[in-house]
Amino acid sequence: MSQRLFRSMAVMLFIAGLVWAPLNAVGQTANSTGTAPRATKRAAPAISAVNGTWSPSTKNGDWPHYTGDLTGARYSPLDQINAENFNKLEVAWRFKTDNLGTRPEYKLEGTPLVVDGILYATAGTRRSVVALKADTGELIWVHTEFEGKRAINAPRQLSGRGLSYWSDGKGNARIVYVTTAYRLICLDAKTGTRIPTFGKDGVVDLKVGVVHGSGQQIDLEKGDAGLHSTPTVVKDVVIVGMAMKEGMTVTTHDNAKGQVRAFDVRTGKQLWAFNTIPRPGEFGNETWENNSWATNGNTGVWTQISVDEELGLVYLPVESPTSDFYGGHRPGNNLFGESLVCVDLRTGQRKWHFQIVHHPIWDYDLSSAPLLADINVDGKTIKAVALPTKEAFLYVFDRVTGKPVWPMEERPVPKGDVPGEWYAPTQPFPSKPPAYARQAVTVDDLIDFTPEMREQAVKALSVYKMGPMFNPPVLSKVGGPLAALTIGTTNGGTNWPGAGYDPETHTAYLPASNSSVAPIGLIEPPQGFSDIKLVSGRAGQPFRVSEGPGYGSAADYPQEPRRRPAPAAAPANTASAAPAAPAPAGALSVQGLSILKPPYGLLSAINLDKGELVWQVPHGDTPDVVRNHAALKGMNIPKTGQNGAVGLVVTKTLVIMGDPQVTTQPDRGRGAMLRAYDKKTGNQVGAVYLPAPQSGSPMTYRVNGKQYIVVAVSGGSYSGEYIAFALPSTE
Amino acid sequence: MSIKGKVRNAAIVVTALFLIAVLNSKLDAGQSDKPTRSTWEGAYTKEQSKRGETLYAQHCSSCHGPDLAGNDEAAPLTGAAFLANWDGLTVADLAERVRVSMPPNNLGKLSRQQIVDILSYVLSFNNYPAGKTELDPKAELLKQIRIEATKPKSD
Repeated sequence: MSQRLFRSMAVMLFIAGLVWAPLNAVGQTANSTGTAPRATKRAAPAISAVNGTWSPSTKNGDWPHYTGDLTGARYSPLDQINAENFNKLEVAWRFKTDNLGTRPEYKLEGTPLVVDGILYATAGTRRSVVALKADTGELIWVHTEFEGKRAINAPRQLSGRGLSYWSDGKGNARIVYVTTAYRLICLDAKTGTRIPTFGKDGVVDLKVGVVHGSGQQIDLEKGDAGLHSTPTVVKDVVIVGMAMKEGMTVTTHDNAKGQVRAFDVRTGKQLWAFNTIPRPGEFGNETWENNSWATNGNTGVWTQISVDEELGLVYLPVESPTSDFYGGHRPGNNLFGESLVCVDLRTGQRKWHFQIVHHPIWDYDLSSAPLLADINVDGKTIKAVALPTKEAFLYVFDRVTGKPVWPMEERPVPKGDVPGEWYAPTQPFPSKPPAYARQAVTVDDLIDFTPEMREQAVKALSVYKMGPMFNPPVLSKVGGPLAALTIGTTNGGTNWPGAGYDPETHTAYLPASNSSVAPIGLIEPPQGFSDIKLVSGRAGQPFRVSEGPGYGSAADYPQEPRRRPAPAAAPANTASAAPAAPAPAGALSVQGLSILKPPYGLLSAINLDKGELVWQVPHGDTPDVVRNHAALKGMNIPKTGQNGAVGLVVTKTLVIMGDPQVTTQPDRGRGAMLRAYDKKTGNQVGAVYLPAPQSGSPMTYRVNGKQYIVVAVSGGSYSGEYIAFALPSTE
Repeated sequence: MSIKGKVRNAAIVVTALFLIAVLNSKLDAGQSDKPTRSTWEGAYTKEQSKRGETLYAQHCSSCHGPDLAGNDEAAPLTGAAFLANWDGLTVADLAERVRVSMPPNNLGKLSRQQIVDILSYVLSFNNYPAGKTELDPKAELLKQIRIEATKPKSD
């Protein structure tokens, strides 16, 4: 590896981009400063004997894609760090992200890439891109785009999940990423300067071509489109999804329409676009009854996209249409809402699709990168795609045909009685593999440390409508039901960090939140707020706009706020409202504890040849509130795990994942742990200290013969930081 | 003085210096680094939390909620997750987090006094008892107050 490293690398630190111009910064295509000396000399990369080009790979110790490779696996075959030495890991370097933006970020969610000894990552409230020396963390370059008001209006703020790498195998390498203001930027990987021949001076304005209604261009400054997942780079193609503002309390059902587009990585020229809301004449248009395709939006692809490069097939996990919990303005099944869609890499033409949820009204957005898995079922080899979900089902299909590997039965589900709503009579239920986390809240799921606690929990939930999976939303009433009680809908199950897959043992590793209770109630929006008949809310409580993660934390906030209603009236007097016993009606905690019994968070292994659960363990230390609870003194409570969306990395022998919460332990004080599990058994074989919760999924790479693990931490009092671990050199 | 005596005297001096150094460091710790009391010992007044409640409704409630439970974009300010985040840290840490990042759509518009007023409301909401003196906005004084999730046993 070292031969391929930059030998003597001068720090080239320059901020390329636009000069701040408050009125119309975006589109002022000022040249990047680009005058730094080319002080780097790159040795020729290893050349493949097959086609004369070189490409990075996890096999060579690189981590060239957000999920390691294009299959979503988060797998690396490295094995220097193992069960025997994991506890000896030391911090190799840290990279604090506070100064990349006007204020610190407390939600650093990135997973870096490493190619050829250089680490690339997004970071900070302005979503800057940094290149670091992967062995020392030394800064090589930083690139920042100053995007003004448009960034402030962005539906996806903060540093994002990361970026993508492309190389022609002959020494030309590029970094591609999407800014908060939804612009696709192409950089020279060596210098961090824009590639002038890509798009317009290195930029493709992704808002151009995004439409609402029956095809009206959205406003370039205020239009609701963004992205915080990474683009997907395959061959010479960049595939980009789209995200919109949180869909619970939106101002119009005629929101921007989701689409997935592909661009030429050399020129930025658009190659194809796939409409996730089919237009007249396109497959599935009739699933939007009464022409409702023309008056509804969203249905984006906000999470990672996986690709089978050999088959030339792209797998798109699609989110909900507008709005998350009320679909009365869009009767019908609403393809391709909450569907896994397979399209052709060259043309974007649909090959097959499977709708995971018909007529989505639960916010079961498809949240995770699909896992591409070549498996053997009953002696038959199947090229499969497995989709981890918030529902905690792993949906497995033949990825060529779209046919379920194990039968999926359409079963009747409860019909609600919300005025104007349209209900799908059935939903698909996989017969295999089994659910790997809670899918509904039953009395048996409630806290039961003591009979008294169970009793309080039952009483607290009496104001909700309980029900099985697909418990439909209700009209919120002060006298009850206040909401329908669900789990795994907004949060819960496997969310954006996704899962991992071991191509050698054909095993999927799935993190899951197991106690994200979500009451879904609908209310009429305040006068003039929205053209949607019903939005998320609670009767008798002040209306709250759900703006979405990172809202208001953009580098240039405060500025003109995005669409918001007139300030709500002062809240009801809550002084001295004690969260302690007895739990008030509607509270989701009992004496400060989760209303559900443990485990709160899980890690599961599912063998995809058999479709069976191999092991399942609680993930995360027992929270302080449980360990120190006066009423639980002397009780022997097994490890509970922690609720929270965390991701993992799979290596030759280990599954590695950090805690989503901090705890204070007698032996280590306050902090969290990065844990290693034996892939075969799920036994924890090691753990190292983190100063804050894991907030971005870990990755691993090798440089100069040494294996590293990098993980993003942040939260609470601790601002964003990438931490690299490696074994001491004495080992 | 004999060689032995010299060695003995030197040893005494070294030991004495060492002891002074140790004592000094302990005293320093007591004066500046280590919190001297906890949030269970009446860190704010009722009057102050009343003021804080009004400010909370104006500046915080729209995201963190009237029940302080938070939502997708705002962390909860009560319950297990909140206590786990701040247990063992000081009120100064919490105040600093608010100062550098809150409210995100109007950053820098809350005075230090307003921040501690709001924090006193948050403390009261979390069942920490009121006391006789107000929570003081001076960072060096806030550093003295440790946030403890668990109520210590009363003797």
